[in-house]
Amino acid sequence: MLGIEGEVVTFILVTVPIYMAAFTLYAVRALKGPTIPDTVLAIDAMTYDLAAFLVVLAIFFRSPILIPTAIVLALWVYALDVYVAKYLEAREMGE
Amino acid sequence: MSSMAVPYPVDWILVIIGEVMVAVGVISDLIAAIGLLRFPNFFVRLHAATVGTIWGAFVPLIGAAFIAAGSEFLGMYRWFVAGGAVITAIFILILGPAGSHALARAAHRSKAAVVQPKVVDHLEEDEALLRSEEEGGSGGEEGSSGGEAP
Repeated sequence: MLGIEGEVVTFILVTVPIYMAAFTLYAVRALKGPTIPDTVLAIDAMTYDLAAFLVVLAIFFRSPILIPTAIVLALWVYALDVYVAKYLEAREMGE
Repeated sequence: MSSMAVPYPVDWILVIIGEVMVAVGVISDLIAAIGLLRFPNFFVRLHAATVGTIWGAFVPLIGAAFIAAGSEFLGMYRWFVAGGAVITAIFILILGPAGSHALARAAHRSKAAVVQPKVVDHLEEDEALLRSEEEGGSGGEEGSSGGEAP
């Protein structure tokens, strides 16, 4: 039998290509989004999923240093949302 | 280390629950990406993007926490990984909807994206009403500063 380690590693190896396909599709929408909100929305969804992917990779590579990276990534992309929303509404970034 | 050879049944249960949640998350992630690519305009794409945020990021993060909690091979860092995954999941649960709501509101108010399949748009009517009221109010104040007669 595989044991827990073999099972987890095999499962993560199966999920990685699906994640890559999803990231590619998000990147296509982010690159060709006709308006600014489309681009920001695609980057937003892609980065939240990237945070989840980083946690999965932290299990795969047994390296816990990837966990703070995921938290910081989630916080920064929320900051991107708020900045772009503020810019679109008021046409300035805040004094 | 001696329990590495014979894992507890509870570890198996945690790992299998976590793998089911990560699988659901990965599949809805792909569905959200396809929807984001194929939907016609911004306000319709918002539906697909929020599917990708909650089902594609929150659920697999909780699942990764379960997997990490049941993975003996991570050693002493398994609880660190599990706790970090739960904290990231809670952040995303709060910040994701707030961010897309702010973005949608800004796109509607600045008219950066059109509301295309539109049955009724109460927000636009309210804004138009508010704007006319504001203009009328400021005009009225100017008028009242001019003369308080009536």
